Amino acid sequence: MESLLSFMLALLLAPLFPGIINRTKAFVAGKQGPPLLMKYYTLAKLCRKGSVYSTSSSFVFKMGPTVSFTAALMPLLFIPLAGTAPLFSFHGDVIVLFYIMGIGRFFTIAAALDTASPFEGMGAAREAFFSTLAEATIFAVLILFYRVSGSLSLADYFHGENAVSLAGPTGALLLFVIVAMFMVLLTENSRVPVDDPQTHLELTMIHEVMILDHSGPDLALIELGAFFKLLFYSVFITHLLQPPVPAGILVNGLLFYGILTLVYVAVGVTESTMARFKMNLVPKYILTSFTLVFFAAILTMGFMQ
Amino acid sequence: MDTLFYALAVILAGGILPLLLYRQFKVMKAAAVIATVVGSMLGLMALTPALQDTGPPTTTWAWQQFLTLTFSIDSLSVFFLVPIFLICPLAALYGFHYMDKSEEAWRIAVNYCCLSLLIVSMVLVVCADSLITFALAWEVMSLTSYFLVVHEFHKKETRAAGYLYFVFAQAGAMCIFAAFGLIYSVTGSFSFDGLDQLSSPLKLAVFILTLLGFGSKAGIFPLHIWLPHAHPAAPSHISAVMSGVMIKMGIYGIFRFYTLLGDTSMLPGQIILAVGMASGVLGVVYALGKHDIKRLLAYHSVENIGIILIGAGLGMIGVATGNATMAIFGFAGSLLHVLNHSIFKSLLFMGAGAVLQKTRTRHVDELGGLIKRMPTTGRTFLVGSISISGLPPFNGFISEFLIYFAAFQGLTLPGISFLFASLAIISLAVIGGLAAACFTKVVGIVFLGEPRSEAAARASEVQASMTLPLLLLAVLCLVIGIFPAPFVELAFFGLRDMAMIGAIEPGTGQVLISNLAFAARLFLGILLGVTLLRRVLYAGKEIASGPTWGCGFTQPNVRMQYTGTSYAMSIVEFFQPFVSIRTVYSGIRRIFPGATTYETRVDDIAEIGMHRYLLQPLVKILDRLRWIQHGHIQLYIGYIVLTIVVLLLVF
Repeated sequence: MESLLSFMLALLLAPLFPGIINRTKAFVAGKQGPPLLMKYYTLAKLCRKGSVYSTSSSFVFKMGPTVSFTAALMPLLFIPLAGTAPLFSFHGDVIVLFYIMGIGRFFTIAAALDTASPFEGMGAAREAFFSTLAEATIFAVLILFYRVSGSLSLADYFHGENAVSLAGPTGALLLFVIVAMFMVLLTENSRVPVDDPQTHLELTMIHEVMILDHSGPDLALIELGAFFKLLFYSVFITHLLQPPVPAGILVNGLLFYGILTLVYVAVGVTESTMARFKMNLVPKYILTSFTLVFFAAILTMGFMQ
Repeated sequence: MDTLFYALAVILAGGILPLLLYRQFKVMKAAAVIATVVGSMLGLMALTPALQDTGPPTTTWAWQQFLTLTFSIDSLSVFFLVPIFLICPLAALYGFHYMDKSEEAWRIAVNYCCLSLLIVSMVLVVCADSLITFALAWEVMSLTSYFLVVHEFHKKETRAAGYLYFVFAQAGAMCIFAAFGLIYSVTGSFSFDGLDQLSSPLKLAVFILTLLGFGSKAGIFPLHIWLPHAHPAAPSHISAVMSGVMIKMGIYGIFRFYTLLGDTSMLPGQIILAVGMASGVLGVVYALGKHDIKRLLAYHSVENIGIILIGAGLGMIGVATGNATMAIFGFAGSLLHVLNHSIFKSLLFMGAGAVLQKTRTRHVDELGGLIKRMPTTGRTFLVGSISISGLPPFNGFISEFLIYFAAFQGLTLPGISFLFASLAIISLAVIGGLAAACFTKVVGIVFLGEPRSEAAARASEVQASMTLPLLLLAVLCLVIGIFPAPFVELAFFGLRDMAMIGAIEPGTGQVLISNLAFAARLFLGILLGVTLLRRVLYAGKEIASGPTWGCGFTQPNVRMQYTGTSYAMSIVEFFQPFVSIRTVYSGIRRIFPGATTYETRVDDIAEIGMHRYLLQPLVKILDRLRWIQHGHIQLYIGYIVLTIVVLLLVF
């Protein structure tokens, strides 16, 4: 019951956090910024509208938002939220979840190519390339976690007795993971410095350009899916940062959402202080994150045999 | 065993009947298809008793004194017989409408004859129980498949591709026979027994030689060169059989000889794993760089053989280090991927064949928008693409997951094995990502968007005998993805008679597999829910249609679409020293530039390397010996006599 409530709460709050990023950016830039609940208004507006479909597109274009939304929702069912156990969990679920996110990406890309637009094709090609590289980092993290905890499920990583945490004996290694996962978060959720969600120059975009032709409720599904995905990665990092406090669920929950907000603020600060990379620097950036984690994984050979 | 031989007789009849009936074009094809389908169903029925007990006894068949053929079936054979009897009849059925030129009736009859011979020889390879039987069946398999490849022999490139395949098949066979000779020189018999008694350096030599031989058949990097040439040259249903089933015989050989040799040292596993990772990653990178749809699929075979070998290598390392879970899951994942790959790869080749038949072009950048004109082909191809990318809820994911699981087990091993296991995981992740990138390219460029040529715009759906196999295979992809348990059981069963793994406890992996199935069903359930939600959101809304948003540009045309080449180029460039990209650009020189050309090609470094470091020196040496070939028959007879005399004197 707790798990279900916690899950519902997270779903409800997901559109709030991107608002925090925008407020952070506005604060740094010395502006007032959009209201905190802006994303809710946008979603509601989109849901009220109809849609325009391109004559070039087929049923794959309409499947794109549905599949990518489902793929973004699935991981939240399996990750512990605010100190509660996840709704579902089994040994090996991380591999399944990252592959399910893969099928979401497959359909997003296919839907983009379905529009016959040169811009969307360009975005699709970049998305396919960069996410492949990010996958290497993610699996390197899984390798490290398996070495540290001997487990293959999100629930075991972040919930219960043997949770991996900075305070544990292998905490130093997790510093690498936190940095690398933050880099992956920025990559996978199309944030600066890999992609710019604000830009309106189609040639330079990755994710935004792939969804140019979607409208109405379809676009709402995509947006909400993107919020869920960002939430998943942020929760992943939050769990690594959160110290184990022997207190009630309320304290832990508040602490969790506090740190989660800080992660979003960090995204906002990064976006305010950095420029987007040139496209050819992005692979190097992602490989840096891979190297960090793989180095940490190699280090485990020193003290675990 | 008898039922199996009856099945083979029926299949063989399906090959001989067309030769007699070729004047009645339709009757001939129907006879061949019916006999192949009936024979294969009989064959599948013959496997059911073998599933229960230890299998039928060895059958021996002797002719004169010197030729004794022995056949037996163990669990590994049973497993490999399943794809043979599953895919081949579907391919034969597909051929019914695919081979539609009635003026070539005789050639098509010969094609059916060779196909049935190929099926029979593959079954015999899998059932062979002695070196000589294996060698004989192996050669028949190579030769018949060669004749199938050169079906369109009037085309020069087909003949060249056939020749290349022939050279690789025979060079590979030579390595295998050399290994058999080594074995015979020690044991003095053609029997499979006693191979585990060989000394360990000899075991390693046999292992390496057979790996070269079987590897050139399976298409491991860098011995894969024939695949991307032979598959586009062969008719599509033949490509489906060759890529889906025949190259797996190479995998079978590796498994069989690994079992027979019983070499439990680390080296074989490490070699296989390294070869698997190289084949897997480079196979998919080259697939991205190729734009001939069948050549691209051929490179994906290299990739999938890589995944299969990663599983096998992990299994071998598991055996060597005594990690039973790792061994079982590695081998089982490898075997299941053999079955899965045979399903989705034949589906994809048949889909490509349908596109080829309707548009007469294999180049992806001349196609587009086909899913609207060929709905069944397009949808089934989409299913095949998701499956081969290893994405849930389809079958490719199940086998890849088992291999992942084995690799994660290996992470607890010390030292070098840990490194191997983690590299295996990283390679699998990268392969998965790149495969998804490649198949979004194929689906997106070929089937989605707008047609890029007249031919693609005029395409229409293919006939029922071609769509039926596609549908069956696509359904099978989904069924294995959602109900994986019996198929994983089958893979575990395949390992039953591999002595070095030891007995597999009943119930191994059951929880894991049911969880996988649960995740797949949960995903589909939520997807269904979201689809309904979308329906609700759209109820009563205004749905309009218009042109694609051209970002302000008002005169878009189909040539402005992203092409496969541009889609893949940044990824291919990233892998550069391992991939050679050749660019020819005429440049813009004057103020009012004339016609400019720009051309890029992605060349296979294995091909370049083999040409430069093997072929050219060889030709140089052999050129010096040209004087031996002078055309005087009497001197040739002299050579023969001299050889016999020398042999008699020496031995």
